[in-house]
Amino acid sequence: MTSQTLLYVVVVSIAWLLFWPLRNFRLRQGLMLFISYLLYASWGLRFLGLLVFSSLLNYALGAYVRRQPTAARLWVGVLLNIAFLGTFKYLPAILPLLPSTSLNTVFAGIVLPVGISFWTFQALSYLFDVYREEELQPSMLEFLLYMAFWPTVLSGPVCRLSSMLPQFRESPKPSGEDVRSGLDRICMGLVMTALGQALASGLQLGQGLDHAFDQISSGWTALDVWCLAIGYGFELFFNFAGYSHIVIGAARLFGLRLDENFARPYLATSPSEFWARWHMSLSFWIRDYLFLPLVMLRREKWWRSVALVLSMIVFGLWHKGSVLFACWGLYQGVLLVLHRKIQEMQRRKALPFPEWLTGPFSWLLTFGAICLGWILFRANSGSQALAMLRAVVTPGEYMSRMLPAGLYYLVFACVFGYFGVMAVDLLRRKYFEAVAVPMEVRFALYSAAVYVGVLHMAQTQAFIYFQF
Amino acid sequence: MKRLSLIVRGVLGLVIFALVLEFCARVDDALSYGAAFWPPYNREILETRDSIGKRGRPGARFQKWKLNSLGFRGPELRSGSLRIACFGASETFGLYEAEGQEFPRQLERELNTRAGRNSFQVVNVAYVGETVATATLRVPEIVEQVHPSYAILYPSAAAYIWLPWVREGPALAASAATQAEPIPARFEWRIRERIRNLLKQALPSFIQTGLRQREIQAALAGYSVMDRVPEENVLRFRKDVSQLVVVLRAAGVEPVLVTHATAFGKTLSESDRDLLIAWRKFYPMLKEEGFLDMEQRMNDAIRDLAGQEHVLLVDAASEIPPGRGHFADFSHFTTPGAAVMASRLADGLQSVIDSQVRRGSADPPPRPAASSDRN
Repeated sequence: MTSQTLLYVVVVSIAWLLFWPLRNFRLRQGLMLFISYLLYASWGLRFLGLLVFSSLLNYALGAYVRRQPTAARLWVGVLLNIAFLGTFKYLPAILPLLPSTSLNTVFAGIVLPVGISFWTFQALSYLFDVYREEELQPSMLEFLLYMAFWPTVLSGPVCRLSSMLPQFRESPKPSGEDVRSGLDRICMGLVMTALGQALASGLQLGQGLDHAFDQISSGWTALDVWCLAIGYGFELFFNFAGYSHIVIGAARLFGLRLDENFARPYLATSPSEFWARWHMSLSFWIRDYLFLPLVMLRREKWWRSVALVLSMIVFGLWHKGSVLFACWGLYQGVLLVLHRKIQEMQRRKALPFPEWLTGPFSWLLTFGAICLGWILFRANSGSQALAMLRAVVTPGEYMSRMLPAGLYYLVFACVFGYFGVMAVDLLRRKYFEAVAVPMEVRFALYSAAVYVGVLHMAQTQAFIYFQF
Repeated sequence: MKRLSLIVRGVLGLVIFALVLEFCARVDDALSYGAAFWPPYNREILETRDSIGKRGRPGARFQKWKLNSLGFRGPELRSGSLRIACFGASETFGLYEAEGQEFPRQLERELNTRAGRNSFQVVNVAYVGETVATATLRVPEIVEQVHPSYAILYPSAAAYIWLPWVREGPALAASAATQAEPIPARFEWRIRERIRNLLKQALPSFIQTGLRQREIQAALAGYSVMDRVPEENVLRFRKDVSQLVVVLRAAGVEPVLVTHATAFGKTLSESDRDLLIAWRKFYPMLKEEGFLDMEQRMNDAIRDLAGQEHVLLVDAASEIPPGRGHFADFSHFTTPGAAVMASRLADGLQSVIDSQVRRGSADPPPRPAASSDRN
């Protein structure tokens, strides 16, 4: 736990006590904006200045587009936002490639404001929605809150104003269901982030995924690469989905429902389904504001595939301006196109395979393909990614392993544990949905979650998604 | 009535919450370190007392700290290697480094790597809070048990801030290890220590520094505050180190003196000032600036002594870069810091390595005249 985490816990707890007695929704909005700015300022006052600047700029741009919703006006807003994001996120990455000038030293000192990718995309979605003439008339206070809302400003979910605005304008009474659900989500998130951290750092020194990726430069066998790819896929999932649970739960404590970000992604049986379950808020953003407008540009079938690949490349580059992330996006795009082609083929020729065979086969293929893609996402360099992928396609590399057995056990335990919990949850939903958990049992479970997520894991690893 | 019931259930819930936290802490200790579920489990289980003072409890284990059957941190002794004993206090014993990464362990690996074979064994005979005076009293017992050829002396001078703390040792005859006293059985909330650690990580440094300053003020009652350590104390420190050198040489062990390194560079940052306050918490009678002056003078005393007694000197205070990369607090190493220390010591011991390499693989290392190994 860091000082900042403690600050968040203290400030949010105080805010929760102050929030519910307020009956006027504007007062509630004011309180939420105040704590949002207070918490964001803990990352740096300059960052807060940039957030406020971007919020005011986009509020003005929204009004500009609303007065006359033309493509030209929208483009002004889009380009300004891309320039803003690009200056902080991509310029430092491309500076070394440019000829050396005095500007290089000026821009080399640029520090990426926390969560800029998330709140800039929220601003863009607002401009798109205004352009589409959706009924959005936020007050300045509401828009500032939408941009800076403390649960989402750091790492999403990327919300839409259309889903947040009605909630900002309500003044519900405190409900036991909101508190219960919020605490459940927070505790689930704590346990998941702890698992993610265990995978990253390992149960013993030098036996985690981080060590395997960062300290070993060659010599992985195919089994090692699969272990790392699957392990990293779950580390990322536990880390990010755990974080999303925590912020969704925290917002729920205030009676606010945020968009979901994950829906059992590793149960997907196709890449398309996976992307409807993984980082859903961004995935849907890309679909609605990039892929669909791109597809509309041309009617040809091949263009649809190109649009898909382009969208996924942007998805990759959204994470970081690097060749590896572009390759990761390209890889995901190709997977989606291939899946589309297979679907078309299946429709043309009704293949005689029974569902009980195609289902597990599709799942296995999807799971393997998605996990393999994480190599591109996590590798430290192109040569490392290539060496790892080469090992996967070399049959002789399946006969031995180099990584410690402890890491294999840890990854297997997490993977099988996860699917085991999924199965139990499925049974619970089917047969015991109506059974209420007594408050005492809840307290015991919360306590165990707090121990695992906070006290056991006192040395927290930097949250992976902060870097985006 | 409904409200009363809710309050009672709420209180019960909080009790359950606390009990489950404690249960989890105990299960965690059992799974992570093999700790017993019920008995007390804290740093005290690592130590026992004899007529000289605190010492390691043979075979004890607490979290990452594991003592061998002689009560020294590290593995059991093995025969057929040249032994180097590391004398010192908590900096040598190791506090913040990962398990097996305290500088004596890293030094052993470094020496053996340079020698190309397992020629060396470094024995960490230090213990937390050990002064030079008590270390001197332990020399006969350590020599008998370990048979070291060399002794690295990394003395902490802080105990000499207040001379009454540097006790006059009892007669050497009484220094033999006594039976380890049993660990007193009492209930302890293990979760308390975890919450304390968590708060230490999470509380902003200005709050922690403020709390420390309050503690310092409260502890000042029995002391007069000094700007710098009196010269008498420095002389006493020099005399005690000199005595340790003499006693070791008399036992056939060649000492190597090491100056005391700290996290502080030539200029002090704001976090350095916080660190000095953290250091002063243990020695409230000395003002913060006095610590830097003390380190300078005590290290000069070590350098002077090394020159006078022709003892090999490793000037760690000058050679280890200051800063939080190498130091977890004012003077205790991080794992990388311990690695640098081990490397500098190995550089200093290069002549010993060379002679050991020349000696070849067949010959056993030279030994002082003493009885046979216990292990």
